[in-house]
Amino acid sequence: MKRGELLGSLEHIILLALARLDGGAHGMIVRREIEKRTGRSISIGAAYATLERLEAKGYVSSFTGEPTAERGGRAKRLFRIEAAGKRALQVSEQTIRSMTGLRSRWENL
Amino acid sequence: MRHESPPVLVCWLLESVVPARYREAMLGDLIEEYNLRAESASPPIAARWIWSQACRSVASIAWSWLCSGNWLISMSIAAGVYIVVGTLKLAVDLSISRLVAPQQATQVVLAPVVFLSAAAIGGCVAARVRRGAMIFLALMVMITVAVSIERKVCTIPVPWWYELGFLTLGPLAVLITPALTGLLVPRAAQPGK
Repeated sequence: MKRGELLGSLEHIILLALARLDGGAHGMIVRREIEKRTGRSISIGAAYATLERLEAKGYVSSFTGEPTAERGGRAKRLFRIEAAGKRALQVSEQTIRSMTGLRSRWENL
Repeated sequence: MRHESPPVLVCWLLESVVPARYREAMLGDLIEEYNLRAESASPPIAARWIWSQACRSVASIAWSWLCSGNWLISMSIAAGVYIVVGTLKLAVDLSISRLVAPQQATQVVLAPVVFLSAAAIGGCVAARVRRGAMIFLALMVMITVAVSIERKVCTIPVPWWYELGFLTLGPLAVLITPALTGLLVPRAAQPGK
């Protein structure tokens, strides 16, 4: 992660969901996890576009599963968070924590 | 468990728009959840859900595509195809009006045939080079027809539905012909087939 570069809000949420669903999850599971935990309904297209972006940055990796009948004969693409993704989450959360601390000080003035 | 088929139009829309890198996986996810919803709720509720997902997904994919800058390449390809096919169509139109059928009535009958053929050929060429170019080409065709109607380029008096036909069928020919001729990636084989 480049210095000063922060994760976008959807990128952050998707990385957190993947960290929760350790071991690999496909787009729909990620989408459902986010909906369940945040109440925010995101489209499957937005989830895949963000997952692709995260994969290009090296934060997640993907592998193809077996095609199944319930999926109309289409294969699953399972995503997994990588070490770089976990580091990016830490940096992002550290930044947010330090800025939240700043806000508390400002509110106490 | 009985598997419902999702609406054909949704599949066609997503197959045309979603990038090949994750098309199969995304469509598979949608079909899987559609089947679950059709079973737990009802097929009409599941159909409403899949339509809302498809429309929102198309908007998200279009936005990330615009942000990536790939649209400039697609637009350039569409412009190239538009110029080449447009010039050929103009040449055919001139030949028809001067050599084959100088009468106005014959021209009115032949013009839509030439126009739709040119739109279909243009759509196929654009789809073969780059899928996104096809959408830009359809937009260019629509704008050209709208401007021609507004400027009254056609000197022969024609009814309104004739002009409306050009405005709607032209872009449709650009978009649908590549799918009909199998130029777009075919859907994965259905289970059991």
